[in-house]
Amino acid sequence: MATINLKDKSIRIKLVYYGPGRSGKTTNLEYIYNKIQENDEKQKGKMVSIDTNGDRTMFFDFFPIDLGKINGFALKLQLYTTPGQVKYEFTRRLVLKGVDGIVFVADSMASRQEANAQSFENLKENLAFHNKTLSDIKVVFQWNKRDIDENLIPLASVEEMEKTLNSKYGYTSFPASAETGLNVFKTVNYIAKETVKHVIALNDIKKG
Amino acid sequence: MSLIINKESADKVEKILERFVEESGATYVLLTDMGGGMLFESGADVVSYNGDALAVLSAANYAATNEIAKLIDEESFSLLFHRGNNENIHFTKVSPDVLMIVLFKPFLSLGLLRLKIGKIQDEIASLLGK
Ligand SMILES: Nc1nc2c(ncn2[C@@H]2O[C@H](COP(=O)(O)OP(=O)(O)O)[C@@H](O)[C@H]2O)c(=O)[nH]1
Ligand SMILES: [Mg+2]
Repeated sequence: MATINLKDKSIRIKLVYYGPGRSGKTTNLEYIYNKIQENDEKQKGKMVSIDTNGDRTMFFDFFPIDLGKINGFALKLQLYTTPGQVKYEFTRRLVLKGVDGIVFVADSMASRQEANAQSFENLKENLAFHNKTLSDIKVVFQWNKRDIDENLIPLASVEEMEKTLNSKYGYTSFPASAETGLNVFKTVNYIAKETVKHVIALNDIKKG
Repeated sequence: MSLIINKESADKVEKILERFVEESGATYVLLTDMGGGMLFESGADVVSYNGDALAVLSAANYAATNEIAKLIDEESFSLLFHRGNNENIHFTKVSPDVLMIVLFKPFLSLGLLRLKIGKIQDEIASLLGK
């Protein structure tokens, strides 16, 4: 749930990286976190991860980013990932509480196409649990792991992934690699901008 | 659907929290929404705690604890509290959307603290209600 504080003139929005297990959600967040730490000493938000032995996400990864001012309001992003494994349904649901924007991280490996589709269905179900639908929030697709050498591991083409996951919605999408950083910031910048616009429009915030 | 906090409410909530810290002797108090978004914090050591992380983890902890209650056929647990060596932490649901976290020294009385929390929780709930 976006929070707008008219006293200190701040807007906070919640962005969640969703997708099947091992599609690269945590890697996206780690990449962003590390780059921000390198480049901006003012950012003090710590990354919080609840995982099993520093590997698989059990609950979520989280960190906040201060984005500076928009329309006179200080903008704060809260980035979360969800766990992908089926058994963590409860925690996935919980992380979606109050979500404003989703990055759906789809795995480009050919063998994971079914898992992508299932996870996307699961997203819709879990939004419904919070009485929300996709149209209440902003969504971007990220076709991740495009860096993989197709001669080693078969990949689904971007066109195929668009067709299976996105033909009904036509959301903006980015081919990406969370490993090399390709389009990782593009993805987060895009969803942040769109979500903020959406929240501002919904709440009729005057320019200041 | 966003939570909009206007200036008057923000001022009032901040006052209430400051006074609460002063009168109860608590170390630190924080309000978060149930999704883990920090709303307000107050206390002598505001800079030394990572309020964002505390809010996120507390909201998660609260929700997980509620699920545990359901599993054992309890509606909810009436006391949510961790005892530490240097600091205790107490969680209160002040409204369906807002959780209050209080840090306090182990030598303070939990009962008295809970009384003081009880006195301000309705007011906070109504100030932050829609
Ligand atoms: N080659 C490649 N591997 C990736 C990429 N993103 C993630 N991985 C790897 O995929 C595995 C799972 O990534 P992780 O971020 O933990 O997935 P999560 O379950 O979605 O959080 C790890 O071994 C990552 O190193 C990518 O863009 N390219
Ligand atoms: Mg993960």
